[in-house]
Amino acid sequence: MRPGSLSAACAAVLRRDLLLAWRRRGDIALPVLYALIVTTLFPFALGPNDDLLARVAGGVVLVTVLLAMLLAFDALFRPDLEDGSLEQLMLAPQPLALMLGMKILAHWLSTALPLIVIAPMLASMLHLPAHANAVLILALLVATPLLSLLGAVLVALTAGTRRSGMLLALMLLPLCVPVVIFAAGAVSAAQQGLPWIAPIAWLGAALALLLILAPLACAAALRIAVDA
Amino acid sequence: MKWIPLWMHRLSSPPTFYRFATVMRPWFMALAVILTAVGLYGGLVTAPADYQQGDAFRIIYIHVPSAEMSLFVYGVMAAAGFIAVVWRLKLAESVAMQSAPIGAAFTFITLVTGSLWGYPTWGTWWTWDARLTSELVLLFLYLGVIGLYHAFEDRRQGARAASFLVLVGVINLPIVHYSVKWWNTLHQGTTVRLFGASKIEGDMLWPLLVMMGAVHLYWAASLCGRVRTDLLSLESGKQWVRDLAQREGR
Repeated sequence: MRPGSLSAACAAVLRRDLLLAWRRRGDIALPVLYALIVTTLFPFALGPNDDLLARVAGGVVLVTVLLAMLLAFDALFRPDLEDGSLEQLMLAPQPLALMLGMKILAHWLSTALPLIVIAPMLASMLHLPAHANAVLILALLVATPLLSLLGAVLVALTAGTRRSGMLLALMLLPLCVPVVIFAAGAVSAAQQGLPWIAPIAWLGAALALLLILAPLACAAALRIAVDA
Repeated sequence: MKWIPLWMHRLSSPPTFYRFATVMRPWFMALAVILTAVGLYGGLVTAPADYQQGDAFRIIYIHVPSAEMSLFVYGVMAAAGFIAVVWRLKLAESVAMQSAPIGAAFTFITLVTGSLWGYPTWGTWWTWDARLTSELVLLFLYLGVIGLYHAFEDRRQGARAASFLVLVGVINLPIVHYSVKWWNTLHQGTTVRLFGASKIEGDMLWPLLVMMGAVHLYWAASLCGRVRTDLLSLESGKQWVRDLAQREGR
């Protein structure tokens, strides 16, 4: 790879973000702990009834993962915005959308992937049957990149603001209704022994679309939110 | 026909729009009040009671116009937001951002009247029906737009960012609507809307149409008023506002 070429720039951004995430390993563990604690609270709130817990397990794990990802979104652009490296990225000759795509990928690897790894354990704590658990992992593998891409656009819009946590929730949660519906639909269909591939395929189609559109939208949003 | 683009072009300048809004607002408001009075009289007094729902159906004269407005205002907001993002017209930014609270109010009224209507007829205040749920999502989207606009220190930047969110919502709203529909029919398909708009008697229909005209006029009046004050504060350093303040202050 020639230095300064597109692929070298992509690799550099990806490597830098992953390295930064690795240096702050504690931050990676926080969303995972959060998801674990929230899931633990559900049996206390609903009562230790195994049938009831098994029925809501898929939905609970999905919503918990979504909320844990929401908490981590703030770290997507804020540190880079504060130390000025995001402006450098915007001034770079390489297309901003592609660079942001790499940042989103690194963010997904460092926050969503640990959550997917721990999700089967959370689901088994709530007595989700094993075959539905496999579908849950598949659904999460397709749904979490969708959430990352969708969230990145909205995080970019709030990048220039002071208080963005609750605001981001207000903006993101209505927009990710379809993701929750299809992912939870697949899990509950698998639980009832019905064919579950259709909702996953819908999610996959949406992911293919957003993989192209979301980085472009993210770049446009960032240019609006950062340059005054 | 060349005067139409010319007129639109002139109108997009804040002082011209300010004068236009000042002149038009009382007319819009007066017509809205008259039409509301006529429509409510027709709806609450002259229209016959429904054979199934009795007098409970009369809330349709508030509910349906507001529901229609909640979508109409989003459409206007999206069109203005598109202009604001692409051409950065100050007036378009103002129209888009001042539309949001009006649309949110109409959406809220739709939800409240809908649940008031649902209790006597369906037997429940709320059900996770496709239409109800997408209307609720629409309300959240409006609130998100308002919240994003106010989160920025620079108002024009906030307006552009929130306009972008409006455009993202335009793409997403149909997806939300259809996914909710799909989700709903998977679980329960029995919730039926009691009657469609086309199957309504003439005596019941004309007050509804009058009320729809009234809410559009009220919206126009409200938008004129909001945009006027917004333009004054946005352009407070400009000469035309200074002139205006000196004339009015005397």
